[in-house]
Amino acid sequence: MTTLRLRGGRVVDPVHGIDGVRGDVGVRDGRIVALDEREPVDQDIDAAGCIVMAGGIDLHSHIAGGKMTLVRLLMPGECSCCAPGTLATGCRYAEMGYTAAFEPAMAASNARQAHLEMGDIPIIDHGAYVMLGNDELFLRMLSEGAEAQELRDYVGWVVHATKALGVKVVNPAGISAFKFNQRRLDVDERHVHWQVTPRQVVRALAQALHELGLAHPLHIHASNLGVAGNIESTLATIAALDGLPGHLTHVQFHSYGAEGPHKFSSAALRLAEAVNTHPNVSIDVGQILFGQTVTASADTMRQHAIAGLGSPRKWVGADIECDAGCGIVPFRYRESSYVNALQWTIGLELFLSITDPWRVVLTTDHPNGAPFTSYPHLMRLLMDKPFRDEQLAKLHPDVVAQSALREMKRELTLYEIAILTRAAPARLLGLADRGQLGVGAAADIAVYREQRDAEAMFSTPAWVLKDGVPVVRDGRVVATPVGAVHYAEPAFDAGIERRIAARTDRPLGLHPRHAAIGRDELCRCCNGGRLLPAECFARSG
Amino acid sequence: MTEAIAAYAAWTCPFCSLLCDGYGLSDATSLSLEGSDCPRARAALDLHRDRSPDATPRIDGTPASLADAIVAAAQRMDRWRQPLFGGLGVDIHGARALYRLAVRTRAICDAADGAALMHGLRALQDRGQYQTTLGEIASRADLLVCVGTPAVEHYPEFFRRCGLGAAGSPCTGLVFLGVPAPARLPAGVHAQALPGSGDLYADVQQLAALVARRRVPGADPALAALAGRLHEARYAVLVWEAGALPAHGALLVEALGRIVATLNGTTRAATFPLGGSDGASSVNQVFAWLSGLPLRSRAGPLGAEHEPLRFGADRLLADGAVDGLLWISSFDATRTPPPVDLPRIVLGPAAMASRLQEAGGIFVPVATPGINAGGHLLRTDGTVVVPLSAVRDDGLPGVDVVLQGLADALESRT
Repeated sequence: MTTLRLRGGRVVDPVHGIDGVRGDVGVRDGRIVALDEREPVDQDIDAAGCIVMAGGIDLHSHIAGGKMTLVRLLMPGECSCCAPGTLATGCRYAEMGYTAAFEPAMAASNARQAHLEMGDIPIIDHGAYVMLGNDELFLRMLSEGAEAQELRDYVGWVVHATKALGVKVVNPAGISAFKFNQRRLDVDERHVHWQVTPRQVVRALAQALHELGLAHPLHIHASNLGVAGNIESTLATIAALDGLPGHLTHVQFHSYGAEGPHKFSSAALRLAEAVNTHPNVSIDVGQILFGQTVTASADTMRQHAIAGLGSPRKWVGADIECDAGCGIVPFRYRESSYVNALQWTIGLELFLSITDPWRVVLTTDHPNGAPFTSYPHLMRLLMDKPFRDEQLAKLHPDVVAQSALREMKRELTLYEIAILTRAAPARLLGLADRGQLGVGAAADIAVYREQRDAEAMFSTPAWVLKDGVPVVRDGRVVATPVGAVHYAEPAFDAGIERRIAARTDRPLGLHPRHAAIGRDELCRCCNGGRLLPAECFARSG
Repeated sequence: MTEAIAAYAAWTCPFCSLLCDGYGLSDATSLSLEGSDCPRARAALDLHRDRSPDATPRIDGTPASLADAIVAAAQRMDRWRQPLFGGLGVDIHGARALYRLAVRTRAICDAADGAALMHGLRALQDRGQYQTTLGEIASRADLLVCVGTPAVEHYPEFFRRCGLGAAGSPCTGLVFLGVPAPARLPAGVHAQALPGSGDLYADVQQLAALVARRRVPGADPALAALAGRLHEARYAVLVWEAGALPAHGALLVEALGRIVATLNGTTRAATFPLGGSDGASSVNQVFAWLSGLPLRSRAGPLGAEHEPLRFGADRLLADGAVDGLLWISSFDATRTPPPVDLPRIVLGPAAMASRLQEAGGIFVPVATPGINAGGHLLRTDGTVVVPLSAVRDDGLPGVDVVLQGLADALESRT
């Protein structure tokens, strides 16, 4: 039994409504406990002058899987921040006070590799959302008019087989459509082969997840990513949910109008209004920040379309196992570019104009908008209006002149940052004992020296604890335990395996006996890290 | 999909990067292949049939315990100033352990087929690629063009895995460019062979120009017709084999990439690589995901270095640039270390012992993933990681266990 006390810090814990109250946080055997102030502890840490928060949780960061290793192979040593190895990934996250990150685009046929790579990310916990809605099996079932129950069981089986925590749909039906040489697919446009629409795909998947009882709603990379005027398809995607829960991801890339002299404008306020009036919708932003990065997406249709804009000029594409796709385009976001500058303002406008912070998560869609290591900079942009204005003034003059950002006076508080980076992602993922500092919670804790410069503060925590073990001291990693893997365990009718077998002899690209990853195999893939299955409570349709 | 089947009956073949999992073995003793007549698998299984080879580690020819062999290996390795880790015939778990040891010793790592591996890797680093997978080919490829390779010579089950000859296969065209059509084709599949000029570089460049609809004076009519078929195809796939490419093969791979890029402007196409067997692509990917850098890298005194040419094993050995060799070949007992005058530590199947030309150095017999150990390997298309199961237990340690022991022994020396 080991005990530890963080003494005299200002605690920020939105789950319990605690906003900067000075106090102690006790830890025993990896869990937060109420310790009597006289009780002796194994380690007593002076947190005076510090902010104490739960460890950060990144709910959307491309950290593992074949796609990210292709990025590493494409750009060896060319961009260490945007394509770090797994060992560096874990260390860099921990050095910012983050204790969990989730891979949002696991191809079902590549699930083992994703888990192997995540298992090689030290310190932080992890998990992944499996991609559906472009797999030929689902599209075929939908096209053949399969019952909602059969679709639900299929989704449940794929989550089970791949040991996923959630389900993501990327350009619904569009990745598959590109394999049939379709170059765009609007929300109500039909897939040229399967004759289904993105609206049908989104609705069916959202319904299936709702009934299976997964905590995380359908994670949606909407149609028409990056296209001027795509706000219409983004709003249509929200409508397609019919009130069912949905998480729209990297919405910055989906909030574009087609107005003005450049036929490219901000539609951030329209999206914010839609989010504010649809309580079933949550989002993460996918903020862009300036500099070299690489865009990595399953959306081959859109990545192929922008490949010519890449810098440096090389790109990778792949059609994957009748299941998914992969497109990698290196990118340099420039302040002098009208489009890039506008993207920067759109992201910040979204952060500042959505009223309910519990439905917003801070992300850069690592590495697509910027490397995750730029989070402290992004936090300062959100918390410091004069700093934000200073950065805005450096941008393309047409953007500076028209941006709604100039008039936005809101500065996020530490409390709100703690929601966006801890409490909200934990709630949206159903991680009841993470993202908070209540008694019984996991002792994933970040301790930051309080200072005016939020970027400096969030860059170098004084202490980071992972399950009660100090892993970072003064911004430097001091221990590298193996992280745990979160995954969902939905109930489904096992008869679906027979119905899958009737349609394909190689589910998920493998012999049927290998299609599902067992617990022992998952444990080996994850380097012996703890398995954290999440029970799902089925809901009626 | 979950019923229990004996490991030998539900076997997955680890002996080429197709990782076929649809065939079985008759039993765990005779290891007779069932459901396939793949000569590559049969030849490899022949080498593993005999369970009698002496499975004792040896230090300079003298039998030793595993623990003693590991301690002795650590002592010797600790003296090496610039080790080379070669062969690298390991599965993903072996590769994980190997990386940690490589960082600890600052070793340079290169696979036995490193030169072939680099063709694709250098093309990828310079230009990128657009690839497809076995399942996609079986589902939608209507034209398959094998460039400079008969494909089935080294990957005998390739066409079967592509679904050629099966009912419902969309493939209506199979073309071999620069090589004769192989005899081994699925029943009912007809192929066309285009001999070309004898200079594969020139032919592929000409094909690229024709596909891009540039004017090519004196164009080969057969290549012009092929360019037309590629444009007409709904989903054309250009197959290349890393091990069959000549020197500077990266240029060929780049040209194939250009053809595919042109075609993707109006129709759909992709390349498909055959290669990375014997653990090569698995260890390459593992190193890339762990460190951000692929093989032919090292954790040098000035940080991580990647040198796709300078860190080639052959060049390092020829230049005398390394002073110790750790050679690992856990799948193939015939793949012995190159005959160089260097201190060496060898990890291989027990049957390798009698094939080592000199008795010097340390030899540790290890298990073979897919025969007498479990494991994971990455398929040739770089997408699917396939689990391997042991069909028998010979009491041999896995490569990962030996390497971990070696790393621990080195740690305890500091």
